[in-house]
Amino acid sequence: MRIEARHKNDIVIFDLEGEIKRSDITDVTLHQLVKEQLDSGKRKIILNFDAVEFIDSFGVGEILASYISTHNLGGKLKLVKISKKLFLIFQVTMLTKVLDIYEEEETALKSFF
Amino acid sequence: MAKNRLRSALSHVVDLKPGEEVIAVFLFLYFFFITSPYYIIKSLRNASYLSGLGDEKLPLAYFLTAILMGFIVTFHSRLQVRLPRSRLIIFSLVFFFSNIILFWWLFERGWKWVPVVFWVWANIFAIVLVTQFWILVNDVFNPREAKRMIGFIGSGAQLGAILGGFLAGVLAKKASGLLLPLAAGMLGLGILVVSAIFKRQRQKTEETDKEAGGKPSRPAGKVGFRDAFETTRKSPYLVLLSGIMMATLVVSTLIDWQFNSIVQNKVAGGEHNLTSFFGYFNAGTMFFAFLFQLLLTSPIIKGLGIRGSLLLYPFILFVGTGGIGLAALAGVITLAPAILIKASDKGLAYSLNQSVRELLYIPISPEQKYKSKIFIDMFLNRFAKGLGAVILAVLLWLVPRAPGNQGGQGAIRYISLIVLAIIAVWVFLNFRIGREYANLVKAKLQKQYERGDLLVDQRLDVDFTKLVFDTVESKNRSSVLYSMNLFDLIRRDKLTPEVRKLISYRTDEIRAASLGGMFEQTETGLGPQTEDELSEDVLKKEVSEIMNLDVYQDVMKDYLEKTLADKSAGAEVARMEAAKAIGFMGSRAPLAGKLEDLLEDESPDVCRYAILSAAALKRRVDVPVLVQKLKSPALREDAMDALRKFGPRIAGTMSDYLADRGEDTELRKTAAAILASIGTQEAADYLSWELTGAGDALVDEVIDALDRIRTADSRVRFPGETIRLMISKETRLYCQDLVDLHSGVQPLEESASRRREKRLSDSLWNIFKLLGLIYPQEDMIKAYQNLKVGTKNSIAYSLELLDNILERDIRDVIFPVVEDLPLEEKVKRCRNLLAGFRSGRDSAG
Repeated sequence: MRIEARHKNDIVIFDLEGEIKRSDITDVTLHQLVKEQLDSGKRKIILNFDAVEFIDSFGVGEILASYISTHNLGGKLKLVKISKKLFLIFQVTMLTKVLDIYEEEETALKSFF
Repeated sequence: MAKNRLRSALSHVVDLKPGEEVIAVFLFLYFFFITSPYYIIKSLRNASYLSGLGDEKLPLAYFLTAILMGFIVTFHSRLQVRLPRSRLIIFSLVFFFSNIILFWWLFERGWKWVPVVFWVWANIFAIVLVTQFWILVNDVFNPREAKRMIGFIGSGAQLGAILGGFLAGVLAKKASGLLLPLAAGMLGLGILVVSAIFKRQRQKTEETDKEAGGKPSRPAGKVGFRDAFETTRKSPYLVLLSGIMMATLVVSTLIDWQFNSIVQNKVAGGEHNLTSFFGYFNAGTMFFAFLFQLLLTSPIIKGLGIRGSLLLYPFILFVGTGGIGLAALAGVITLAPAILIKASDKGLAYSLNQSVRELLYIPISPEQKYKSKIFIDMFLNRFAKGLGAVILAVLLWLVPRAPGNQGGQGAIRYISLIVLAIIAVWVFLNFRIGREYANLVKAKLQKQYERGDLLVDQRLDVDFTKLVFDTVESKNRSSVLYSMNLFDLIRRDKLTPEVRKLISYRTDEIRAASLGGMFEQTETGLGPQTEDELSEDVLKKEVSEIMNLDVYQDVMKDYLEKTLADKSAGAEVARMEAAKAIGFMGSRAPLAGKLEDLLEDESPDVCRYAILSAAALKRRVDVPVLVQKLKSPALREDAMDALRKFGPRIAGTMSDYLADRGEDTELRKTAAAILASIGTQEAADYLSWELTGAGDALVDEVIDALDRIRTADSRVRFPGETIRLMISKETRLYCQDLVDLHSGVQPLEESASRRREKRLSDSLWNIFKLLGLIYPQEDMIKAYQNLKVGTKNSIAYSLELLDNILERDIRDVIFPVVEDLPLEEKVKRCRNLLAGFRSGRDSAG
């Protein structure tokens, strides 16, 4: 898994690529990267799943942990371009009720304002 | 009116039902009019042979009879192929009638060969006519009818024998020339009686055929001797019957020799005294057989059943011949035991044994019956007697050479040993055939229908059906709920192509935002496979893992609390989603605790989803709430299904509710049904404990629950004493309702009458369910169903089955209730039974 961070104004966009799974843990996890941004004062975070091929429950756990950390600090975490199957899992697990999910990055960016 | 008087007169000696009077009397007369001429003929046969040729020539007569019997059987079989049964029997009677006239003329000529021919002919006369008589009896009656009437009908033979012997004795000295014309006259009356029987049978058959839509009621039997032999050989039951017949006749032959040997040594005074002794003895034996047949045969068969009755005859002979053997060993043989054993042998052979043997033919098909009777009664009979004679001859040849032999006494004790051994084999065969008889009767009964609840259980997955409905219904309600329901189908491996088709019907109505459509494509749907497909196994695994993540529980906590707190109408769907989602979590998940609130939700829809999730999680803490839901008509079924899923863990809890007299009755009934679903020995024990104290409101449900447990697992055991007590109780209720309904003292109102009728029906079903707990359940169901909806024969076979299976104490209690009796008689028997119950209670008190 590769994670690149971009910044647009005060919004941090994480471009995720590859597979987010338990068996493929890197030295720095998504949650740690989000926390680093939170520690640096960022409160608006977007996770871009456009290039994500696969995500397992570990990956979902990372997303949720990131969501909690952001939320606990009064921030917002939004998801964009998630695959249909991830959306399906989010629906079944009712996470669509909690997470902010957008089809396009632009829409997600606008939603912060 | 005349029939009623006849039935009333006969009711002292035979248990008849309306419509049976005439045929019973006809068959009695038929047997009477073939045995009375035979006993005249038999006397003449012995006298003419002994005076003409002497006893040293008797082996010739035995030999000729044995040889000719084979030919006669073959000839008779061929006639049977060509002639209908009625014509064959009447033809035979007319043939023997004309033969008697012919012999009358031949005896006048004084030719020396006539007694030899007459001897052989007389034996053929007896065998053919008696065999035909029993074939007709088997055709006319079903087992129940035969069992009731066989004693009476069979007594016609004894009475005929006594009369025939008596007439021969009286007329032989004064007018011997009249004996044969008299025998012919009696046989002529027999022909008239048989003609009347067939005329009556034809009328009945036509009526039956009309009722059956024109189908002939019985196939005509057309077989030869080879077929008769093959039919017997191929049926294990008939082979057993043949074995019993052989054993009986061999034993009888050996006992006959023992008797003759003792009489020869003990009765002094020459040939006249010996003849006089045999004359008195034969008359006395036949009189004993007559009284036994008339008074004891039916009660014994009814009391002991076929199996018990089968053992009585060999048991008596075993004791008798054993006693004679011991007496011979001690050297103290007297005439009295010899008379006793011979009288028992002949008396029982012509009464009880004959009747029981004929009853054994009844469960087999008319064709098999006819074929095998020809072989067994005509051929095997002679063969067995011949075999007995051979065994005797070999023994008598060997025994004088044995050390310590003391003439006749030495042979007697060895023969006793042989007889005891053969009786042991005979008893073994009797046990086997008793079991086979019951199996054949069972095979005659078809199960009419399956229990509805069982059919539903077997053929329908109710949970799955409900889920499909929920899925379809949730389509327009919420995409999340729809997705979750679809996932639930996947989780259970139930999202088959057919189900996909069903739930995707009118998909245009679904919101595009719903990704439910994804389920309807490729592997998880209906479309072509793509790389984006999500395998069902991965989906199941992922969702399960995600929902059990601590972080997921944390994330969802706030959302669920807010959702549950929002009681507005618009939030109902969100609460339903929450309730559904919790069902996918582990039972130890922190959010699973939210189910308690959702189970108390005021919305039945939310509550229902919560109940389904509670069923999935099976948390003990949810049981009390689920039990309370049993009181709600809208949620009872779902709550019941949920509690069922807890299984044996909640058997004790359910039994507490069942036993709690202060609880809601509907709730207690449902508790019984849940215990039935749990179905363990423990659940059965709880229900059994509650059985006697269940009270009117609950007893049907408790009995039904026990019945279901028995159906599901035949290994579960039930307390016999309690069940018997309940059978008595239900029978008493049935009798009381029947008496109240039909006592005629105070007519009941229509609604009260209908209630009683229903209770009668319920009580009867309860009785059979209870019987099924301590007897083979399948047999009890067959018996019940055939009693309820069966034809006359089905009812008869049901009763026969019960008669063979039930123990006497239970039979005595329930037969007044189940027996096919006229209403008036049934009410009378119920009254007697109630009086019996009352006096039993009083004496116990």
